[in-house]
Amino acid sequence: MLPMIDRRRFLSVGALTATVPGFLAKTGSLLADDKSLANKDRVLVVVQLAGGNDGLNTLIPFRDDAYYKARPKIGIARTKSLKIADDFALHPEVGDLRKLYDAGELAVVPNVGYPNPNRSHFRATEIWETATPEKDVLTGWVGRYFDAECRGVPSPMLGLQLGEKPAMTFAHPKGRAVTLTNPSLFKWDDATGKAMERLNRVATTDNPQLDFLQRTGNDTLSLSRKIQDALKDGKSGAEYAPFNFSQSLKVVAQMIAAEVPTRVYYVSLGGFDTHTTQTGRHAGLLQELSQGIGSFVADLKALGHLDRTLVMSFSEFGRRVSENEQQGTDHGTAGVMFLAGGKVKAGVHGSRPDLSDLDEGDLKFKTDFRSVYSAVLKDWFAADASKVLGAEFKHLPILA
Amino acid sequence: MKPTVTWDAAAASHLLSRTEFGGTPKRTEQLAARPLSDVVAVMIEEAKAAPAPAKPGWVKEPWVNTERVYPETTPKERMENHRKAGERQTRERNELRCWWLDHMIRTPAPLREVMTLFWHGHFTTEAKRMFVAQPLYTQNAATRTHALGNFRDLLEAVTLDAAMMMYLNMEDSDAKKPNENFARELLELFTVGIGNYGERDIKELARALTGWTLDAPPGTAKRPTVADASRTFCRDGLVPTFVKEKHDAGEKTVLGKTGKFGVKDVLDIVAAHPATARFVSTKLIKYFGASDPRNELRDRMAAKFGQTKGDIAATLAVLLASPEFFAKESRGTLIKSPVHLLVGTCRLLNLDVTATPSLAQVTAAMGQELFNPPNVKGWPGGRDWISSGSLAVRYHLPEALFDGQEPAGFEPIATDRNFALPADEKARKELIARIQNFDKKRREERKKDGFKVTFDPAKALDGAVPEKAEALVAALTAKLFVVAPRTDTTAVLTEVVKDLPAAERVKLACRLILTTPEYQLA
Repeated sequence: MLPMIDRRRFLSVGALTATVPGFLAKTGSLLADDKSLANKDRVLVVVQLAGGNDGLNTLIPFRDDAYYKARPKIGIARTKSLKIADDFALHPEVGDLRKLYDAGELAVVPNVGYPNPNRSHFRATEIWETATPEKDVLTGWVGRYFDAECRGVPSPMLGLQLGEKPAMTFAHPKGRAVTLTNPSLFKWDDATGKAMERLNRVATTDNPQLDFLQRTGNDTLSLSRKIQDALKDGKSGAEYAPFNFSQSLKVVAQMIAAEVPTRVYYVSLGGFDTHTTQTGRHAGLLQELSQGIGSFVADLKALGHLDRTLVMSFSEFGRRVSENEQQGTDHGTAGVMFLAGGKVKAGVHGSRPDLSDLDEGDLKFKTDFRSVYSAVLKDWFAADASKVLGAEFKHLPILA
Repeated sequence: MKPTVTWDAAAASHLLSRTEFGGTPKRTEQLAARPLSDVVAVMIEEAKAAPAPAKPGWVKEPWVNTERVYPETTPKERMENHRKAGERQTRERNELRCWWLDHMIRTPAPLREVMTLFWHGHFTTEAKRMFVAQPLYTQNAATRTHALGNFRDLLEAVTLDAAMMMYLNMEDSDAKKPNENFARELLELFTVGIGNYGERDIKELARALTGWTLDAPPGTAKRPTVADASRTFCRDGLVPTFVKEKHDAGEKTVLGKTGKFGVKDVLDIVAAHPATARFVSTKLIKYFGASDPRNELRDRMAAKFGQTKGDIAATLAVLLASPEFFAKESRGTLIKSPVHLLVGTCRLLNLDVTATPSLAQVTAAMGQELFNPPNVKGWPGGRDWISSGSLAVRYHLPEALFDGQEPAGFEPIATDRNFALPADEKARKELIARIQNFDKKRREERKKDGFKVTFDPAKALDGAVPEKAEALVAALTAKLFVVAPRTDTTAVLTEVVKDLPAAERVKLACRLILTTPEYQLA
């Protein structure tokens, strides 16, 4: 605690008016620039496709007549789809992903799931985020990675999510991640910040909620300067579409280039719950995904940070194989994952789903999603994957 | 020994902080002078008797679809109709948010709105996925009507209603291929909850729900629209209408019961299921912030819910008079929702306020946009209200309420892409420009009224402004906090107030109070 005399002085500097901004002189940064915090190491960008992305219309088994039989109205025509392998073609609107594929910068994992699939958005999302299908746990897989492997890293934001609802992927009692909707919100002048800093100074009480608020308040105030510093130049090496997901990736690219002390970023693209007339909407979403990632990769390449960046997409489930009566698809099981970046082993890693062997109309998965996580942990972060995931999973050679 | 409730001013203040967006010292004293059981009974009776707010002027009965496409409608007319309808819907949504906020700020019976807000987060509809605004109003009116009524009535009112039917695709669900969306959420989120049903129940339930559409009132003369028009362009009305030929009349087995069920039968089954009583009770306990580690309160509430066949008021009365609700662990531990924070601040400080779209955007930026929950599960509440991002917004609240200024960043970074753009570069750029222009107009429209809020120091302190700094800070924190202020909080506030001219003290103290950790708690 500051001695009373200092407190009095700093609180009474300047003209005291009814607006806080005036009543304190500038007293320096909230969080002094500390170059030792800079992260020059590898980063992961998790892309969540919320709502359940239709894997079969994203990565199309275009040689399979059963696919067209199950989807007479919404199936993607052979002639329109973008062929990338003997058995697979991409949706016509993901041209940028196809370019990445051709350039050796995109890995695709078809038919990814887990045993006893859950078809509830919420439970299925939890399963993917906690990487623990067998039981309810309160920690996310990245949260556990931070706890197990990054304890000594003095960063206030090892995880950074652009979005509204904090992702469970980062959840941990010793939370190391922050969620923000719009970085411009973190702007207030130093004077206001100083006053709030004192009002939020942690003094542990017997009320855990009050303590939680004090801690989060403190974090918020110390982050504000970091974020503003990272974004002030606004340097960008590529053009992004003027939409939410793309613009969020642009912010992430700026943060990566500014070497802010963040290891894992998290961005969501929502709206994949296409129960009715899905064709147009799904095309729009995939176009946004593809162009967003395309711009992001180009940007990082231009800024010289692609080699230390890996993008991984996931969705809580794929969709039912057969279309429904309203030209949409209901909740299903296995889906498709994309990995993009300088160090991926390009290609399709897995065989096409067998549409003649279904479980109540749904795909039987071939690759456990935890194998993908395991590869990311082991081969990208050089972490002890089995410790984070609680078991050994089959090694997938998706990263160089 | 059974724990009892010590009913005093602190307990009354706690009750009011949860049921009425916070209580003034005067109301707190009045309540503390009467027995708890009377207080709860009267509060609930007053809430039940409170008249509903007058419906917004733009609500039309019957609703008329101005976007219908007839064989002779030209593509240009079609585009123009769609554009106009989109603009109208944006305006109506803004007005609707203001209409409700305004009512919450002014109502003499806030518990009715607190409960309407509870059901609003339970029986959800996302405005962003609706192309018509009127159902958002009718759903809100239905939840208000039954907010403290009977659960089975409420369930039917929101099921056979345009908002839910459109949002979760019960509209036009056909026996040939039933849409499972509503059936799944009905079980998972609205009634019995996870663990009390299987995938088979969902499929069977979906069959029972087939055959419903939205149509013009019976007897309306209709003009045929073009074939293959999507629902937006051919819907004749918003009246839930049963189409026998599209209903699956066969036998179904739902939650262990078998019969040739239709919608009302399955609503009976799920509403009367014991898991529903527990599920709803648990959710109320969480919403009102009672600590119930052994589920004893839940079980007493569920028993009351069962005995009264789903009487919501009776179930709530058990909660509000319970020792668990008044236990130490329950006091000052509920994180205020954004709506609670905003409405409570306006009410407690007696702000002279008229709700405008800018004011409504304040709760949206803090993570609770009225009529637009993040997903079908509603707002999770609790600690999920607080992250660095949302806390940063809360820190800007004084700018909005006291300066009438909207801080930067109250909107998402950019708009969403709702459809694929053409590959042709010129066409794409033109379309992007149109989308951005539309978004710009939407923002301007929302911001055009600015804030209409005035702060009056005397009114904020109910007429009695103490002269001494210590006394002023004590009066404000006593009124605005439900937890004891921490040492630093009192010290900072007192120091700031001391050096200020009297005229500016109250406002600045309030500004700082709004950014404290204490003030985020109810």
